[in-house]
Amino acid sequence: MSTEMTQSSAHVTKVTKNRIHVDYEGKMPFWKRLRLKIFSTYFLTQVVWHVFRFVIMLGISYVILFPFFSKIAGSFMGMEDFVDVTVRIVPKHFTLDTYKAIFLENKYLDAFLNTTLLSISAALLQTFVCCMIGYGLAKFKFKANKLILICVVLTMIVPHETLKLSLTMHFRYFDIGGLAGFTTAEGVRIIPGLLQLFGVNIMENDLLNTFWPMLIISATGLAFKNGLYIFMLRQFFRGVPDELEESAYVDGSSVMHTFFTIILPLSIPMMITVFLFAFSWQWTDEFYTKLFFPAANRITLMPDIAEIPKSLETNYAGQSLYYSAIKNTAGLMIIFPLVIVYLFCQKYLVQGIERSGIVG
Amino acid sequence: MSKFKDLCGSARQKLAGAGKFIKEKTAPVTGAIGKGAKCVGTAVGKFYEKTGLSKVIRPASLDKRKARSGWMFVLPFVIGMLFLYLPVILDSLWFSLATISSVKGGGLTMSFAGLKHYQDALLTDPSFSQKLLEGIKQLIFDVPAIVIFSLFIAVILNQKMLGRAAFRAIFFVPVIIATGLMDSINIEDTLSDHMGSGNGISTGAQENATGQIISAMDIAVLFENMKIGNEIVVYVTGLVNDIYNIINRSGVQMLIFLAGLQSISPAIYEACMIEGATAWETFWKITFPMISPMILVNAIYTIIDSFTSSSNVVMTYITSKTSTDMGELATAMSWIYFLAIMLIIGIFVAIASAFIFYQKRD
Repeated sequence: MSTEMTQSSAHVTKVTKNRIHVDYEGKMPFWKRLRLKIFSTYFLTQVVWHVFRFVIMLGISYVILFPFFSKIAGSFMGMEDFVDVTVRIVPKHFTLDTYKAIFLENKYLDAFLNTTLLSISAALLQTFVCCMIGYGLAKFKFKANKLILICVVLTMIVPHETLKLSLTMHFRYFDIGGLAGFTTAEGVRIIPGLLQLFGVNIMENDLLNTFWPMLIISATGLAFKNGLYIFMLRQFFRGVPDELEESAYVDGSSVMHTFFTIILPLSIPMMITVFLFAFSWQWTDEFYTKLFFPAANRITLMPDIAEIPKSLETNYAGQSLYYSAIKNTAGLMIIFPLVIVYLFCQKYLVQGIERSGIVG
Repeated sequence: MSKFKDLCGSARQKLAGAGKFIKEKTAPVTGAIGKGAKCVGTAVGKFYEKTGLSKVIRPASLDKRKARSGWMFVLPFVIGMLFLYLPVILDSLWFSLATISSVKGGGLTMSFAGLKHYQDALLTDPSFSQKLLEGIKQLIFDVPAIVIFSLFIAVILNQKMLGRAAFRAIFFVPVIIATGLMDSINIEDTLSDHMGSGNGISTGAQENATGQIISAMDIAVLFENMKIGNEIVVYVTGLVNDIYNIINRSGVQMLIFLAGLQSISPAIYEACMIEGATAWETFWKITFPMISPMILVNAIYTIIDSFTSSSNVVMTYITSKTSTDMGELATAMSWIYFLAIMLIIGIFVAIASAFIFYQKRD
């Protein structure tokens, strides 16, 4: 085969006075060329690799998506379907009762509105605060810079379970550095008075069952996975060239002005990524929500949706599967808004991460 | 209307007159203040010059001002750290060292108990140390699987292929959606296992609840002639059957690897291709060394992520213990767990950092 290759030298024809046409394969007939191409090892390995890769990707996509399909299928099944041997994925007794019960009895709309308010406010705060902290750590040299970075990593490492008890205690008897206790002793209730404005029980400085604990830990960059966001944004800001800010400073812009008018607009894709993470992790968060909203008469939030509605409680052979299906339906309803948000933002997720150059 | 205008005009005149009057009356005072300030300023200036302080105290340098603005940016975190996080951590340490008991009529008292809870956790508690070992063993087996899987997927997702955008969107679904609440719902989900399994119905009983893709027997047949130990067979089948869990937990790692892969200069790959390197050689000689810092980061992230997740064996045990007495024992346990994990991370970093290649940037 190789001898044939060497024999087929370039075939040159003169088209016009100043143009020539070089036909490298002119001497070889089409079928021969095709045969040479198809039966080369390179081509074969490429084909095998492409097919293998595609099959693997399809398989893993199936593994990822199958639980969602089964949840969707199960959510439309009636009670009879769970004891029916012939029913596997397509429901026979099509019903919307599960959705209806969850929507009405578990107060889906209340939970949706409350969680939206909580998640959006917390996620916006987290995004902005993490941006500030990341920028401060990336672009300014001061003595404690490294120490603060270590602290950021520490907040990532320490498990939340360790802090559960004392976090609850802190927000149950909330006072900032003993300030509230002092003022109550003096009879001047400044901080409790302020807190009362925002619907907090003044007598005990009880912040639990309000949005405040979540907002406070968001505003101080201590909320769920904020260490990761700070680290990501720090790496992103380190990639932004210093000359940009220096030219702004030379033109008389202050540090804050530079941050708001130059750096923030520049980092919008990255901020969308962080916001997406913060929003969705806040949305499905169970730990902090249960920690900060322990009372029975609190506002309805997403974790309440994943309960079995009263009207659907039964006791029959397919009970465990049926309850599982109800919970799955609740899960579908919980993630439905997230899916919509993700469909619009997923482009930014990969882009933002790619541009961040986390490698640093 | 004109009357109103007149009124307005007169009022304005009166106001202007009043303003003038006030200005005249207060002029001496403000003048005096201004003069006084000037005097003080010059006096201070002279004092500075005389004592030589002017050479010591200068308007802050650019570096200092920049440092100050740096502090301003990290201020929220510093405040949170000092007033919320450190007290919480110290409290938690203190809880683990103390005995809390409730007093009649409400309120709690704490008394120092030394290392009693730590002793209880390690020596008296029947299953804690066993669970701890089990958890650490699980961690050591899981971390390489997750890191290798996410690297593999990231490398594939980085290549040009049919439907890459769709695959990317699908692969990052678990990161965004299957966390927290969904995670706990998925754990209880017997329905999808039931639907996935090809066996007959069992009215929701747990017998075929683990939707096994392959059984240990299939792999055992495959590995029989290779003279591989039974442990590895069990490990591999465990991994394959646990694929959903592994995919779920490797989302962020995939993103980090993708970012790392994107940052490798295409010129290097081009040079490789011209030199005639195969894809296999390119991966081991170029991609792997260039991505090795990311491997370290991801391994640490995986360790942290899996040991702070609530689905962990040790974590579930600790959570179950939280309700007993006042939770001091649980706190002590989580501190022991934390120290163990820190030790593992430390050992891992010490070993891995010898093998990591950092590209010099200029």
